[in-house]
Amino acid sequence: MNSSPVLSVRNLGVDVGTGAGARPVVSDVSFDLAPREIVGIIGASGSGKTVLARALVNWIDPPLRIASGSVEYKSQNILDLAGGRMRLLRREIAYVGANPMGALDPTLPVGRQIVEKLSAVVPGIDPSEARKRVIDLLGAVRIPSPRLRFDEYPSQFSGGMMQRALIVDALVSNPAFLVADNVTQPLDVTVAAQVLRLMRELTERFDTAVVFVSSSLPTVKEAADQVLVLSEGRIVERNTPQRLIDAPQHPYTLQLISQIPKIWTSEAAAVPRTQNAARPTISIRDATRTYRVRKRGTFAAHSEVRAVRNVTFDVMPGENFGVVGESGCGKSTLMRLLSRLEFPDSGSVICNGKDLSKLRGKTLLKFRRDFQLVLQDPFNSLPPRTSIGAILEDPLRVHGMRNAKEIRERVLAVMAEVELPANLYDELPLGLSAGQRQRVNVARAMVLEPKVLIMDETLSSLDQTEQFRLLALFEKLQAQHGLTYVFISHDLAMVRRVCNRVAVMYLGEVVEIAHNERLFFDPGHPYTKALLSAVPTLEERRYRPEDCLLEGEPPSPIDLPPGCSFASRCPHAFDRCRAESPTLTARNHGELAACFLVGGPGARAAA
Amino acid sequence: MFVISFLVRRLAQGALIIFLVTLLIFTLLRIVPGDPVRLMAGGMAPEALIEQIAEEMGLRDPVLVQFGRYMSGVVRGDLGQSFVRPASGASTGGSSFGDATRGERADVLTLIGETLPMTLQLAFLAIAFAMIFSFLVGIPAGLSPGRWPDRVAFYVSSIFISLPGFWLGIVLALLLSVKLGWLPAIGYKGFAYTILPAIVLAVELSPVLIRTLTGSISSAMTMPFIAVGRVRGLSQRRIIFAHALRNASVPLLNLLGIQISGLLGGVLVIEFIFDYPGLGLLTINAVLQRDFPLIQGIAIVTSAIFVLINIAVDLIATLIDPRLEY
Repeated sequence: MNSSPVLSVRNLGVDVGTGAGARPVVSDVSFDLAPREIVGIIGASGSGKTVLARALVNWIDPPLRIASGSVEYKSQNILDLAGGRMRLLRREIAYVGANPMGALDPTLPVGRQIVEKLSAVVPGIDPSEARKRVIDLLGAVRIPSPRLRFDEYPSQFSGGMMQRALIVDALVSNPAFLVADNVTQPLDVTVAAQVLRLMRELTERFDTAVVFVSSSLPTVKEAADQVLVLSEGRIVERNTPQRLIDAPQHPYTLQLISQIPKIWTSEAAAVPRTQNAARPTISIRDATRTYRVRKRGTFAAHSEVRAVRNVTFDVMPGENFGVVGESGCGKSTLMRLLSRLEFPDSGSVICNGKDLSKLRGKTLLKFRRDFQLVLQDPFNSLPPRTSIGAILEDPLRVHGMRNAKEIRERVLAVMAEVELPANLYDELPLGLSAGQRQRVNVARAMVLEPKVLIMDETLSSLDQTEQFRLLALFEKLQAQHGLTYVFISHDLAMVRRVCNRVAVMYLGEVVEIAHNERLFFDPGHPYTKALLSAVPTLEERRYRPEDCLLEGEPPSPIDLPPGCSFASRCPHAFDRCRAESPTLTARNHGELAACFLVGGPGARAAA
Repeated sequence: MFVISFLVRRLAQGALIIFLVTLLIFTLLRIVPGDPVRLMAGGMAPEALIEQIAEEMGLRDPVLVQFGRYMSGVVRGDLGQSFVRPASGASTGGSSFGDATRGERADVLTLIGETLPMTLQLAFLAIAFAMIFSFLVGIPAGLSPGRWPDRVAFYVSSIFISLPGFWLGIVLALLLSVKLGWLPAIGYKGFAYTILPAIVLAVELSPVLIRTLTGSISSAMTMPFIAVGRVRGLSQRRIIFAHALRNASVPLLNLLGIQISGLLGGVLVIEFIFDYPGLGLLTINAVLQRDFPLIQGIAIVTSAIFVLINIAVDLIATLIDPRLEY
């Protein structure tokens, strides 16, 4: 490393609370950031990463408090600077956070807010020059038609676009260093990979040093020159990424590495193939669901959002069936169709031989009993002022159980089954951890002894350790009750671990259905490959992102281009793909993929 | 483009609402007891004459026929003529008959046209007072929840909401006008006569405005882009005035729409107390005299004002926050 560091942090400590109740969140952190260097900081949730990241940009609000140490920039401790002088330094110190959608005022155009920031930190800048600079940079982060996008509102940007716009916002004043706090966390894997690549490129172009904070070691490995491992607010290890992974010293680092899912190595779990049964439990036939929305800026015109298009698949009894895809691909609409919250506009959903749309009265209640849903958000899916016992009793009462003693016994039995302590019966869900809450959700579904559980991103909000435990619980419950699981998820690593068969969705269509192993080792659709290339893992990649995915985001489900919906991002697309849409084509063993390259002799060569 | 389609859609809805209100008021007025002709012609008029006048005026036709005749006038801008008031001036009350013939009765539109501007002047002044006061009290309160400005706002709005308007009107008139002689109070001989009733109305309006403003500002200040804005280098003043206030203003606007509509009702009592020659006073007299055409005319005009205010409020709200566009 050359010359003197841009930033030097010495013995930094941050406490939460004051006086006797004070508890350290970050303690004794020291490191230097050289010019153009990227320092990664990694740690599990609760390790103090975000607090450290905020301390670096002097953004510590009560109840947090700087307890000790200094953050030195240009030989002054920025933690001591008063509001006004700090504000001018914001030109040189930039920050990008994990919540792109909340970071800008929703009532003002994105471009105008970036110009506002620029003129706040560079007083006296010419407005038209500021505007030009912002538009240039929006183009540089590959936001299509930046001139138009400049005047659009935050709600018109997707998460990935917004994160790019915020990177522009951070870099527009040519900062000396940038703190990026978990910037890729809320993004889909393929978009996260693009944003990461972009950040690396831009920091070189603009000579910016970066502190890159993340909970995902694979992501940090891609980005950083130097990695600090943070555990309980202390730096327990520092090294270059490769050495850290090859020879971790501290037990915490070892633990972090061991929790990173394996996908292609022999340690990865072997998931058995499904046995074909006589009759599928769920059979969805050519289902399509379209929503009508009023077109902006027109008098009475509507446009159609085609959320689910011609989806067909079967789920066999006792199977773990996975549905994967990125946000906006129609997973959740599909879940609503499967759980009969909505009906398909055309096609049908058949469960145990009965068409869901024809169920009424008693048979419908029976269906509800057999098909239970476990939702994504552990915090909003439980009523906050109802005791856990009452939450779990409710479904029993709805389904006709009357004897209070029996109900209580049944609830306690289920609580034991999902490993919730019985003394939580009269507690409110308030103090529970995310994992415990998700167990309550599972218990609420299990209390009716269902045959099928539909898991809509049930594990996404949990950390690795808790995910492991819940998956073990699911396995146990499946063995005891012969359950069928449908996992709807964007997390390929989780799907790799548990699902027998997997359907990949893109823009409302199923583009590939395959058994676990085939999907991960020999995917038939280029989109599957793109997804696999972007999975955060430390393993040698079977598919390199550079080969698998073009820049850009999925087209809007409102104006679908003709032809294959993936053609705009597919590196193998040719003329036919832009003209006609491929249908699911059998590969073998009942595995299907919707790509013109499948089946023909050209398929192998192109793959 | 959006604005035009919005206005066309909303104005069409508004016209329907006004039509329904008119129909309702018209029918109800024909059902309530009390014969307007008896009031017009005077207590001493012979029964036959009353029947004759009623026939002439079409008051014995079926209600729907009368309504059709009335509406055909309304769309041509003719709201009819008062039963009671002569074109020359003050209400006669009709103790004698024969001195006021139909031709000399006042046009409803003219009567409303004379009084509505007075009421609007009073209403706007009241809203201006209420807004200025609420902003002065509510913004500091919203910026420091739980601290003294917040408590001041809470006490002020609690006291204001407990003061009955008619009582406050009388007390202020006594204090500011009779004792101190600062402001004139009764009747109207110039702009200064508007100030005192406006203050009374503003005191009634401001508690709800203060509470809403305090709440929406303090919740706007907890939004992530406010904290991030500071880190992005925006000044505190810009954050508050360009962003927090902007986001807090949408709930305030919606409330203001309702408040202004409510104000047109609140004005009844206050105008009566201060003998202020506005729409409120006109309404009270029209009701007491069973002056059907006048009551109907006032109902149409007020409901049109309600509709227009709500359209304006929604339009401004979507201009502030484009996510509300639908």
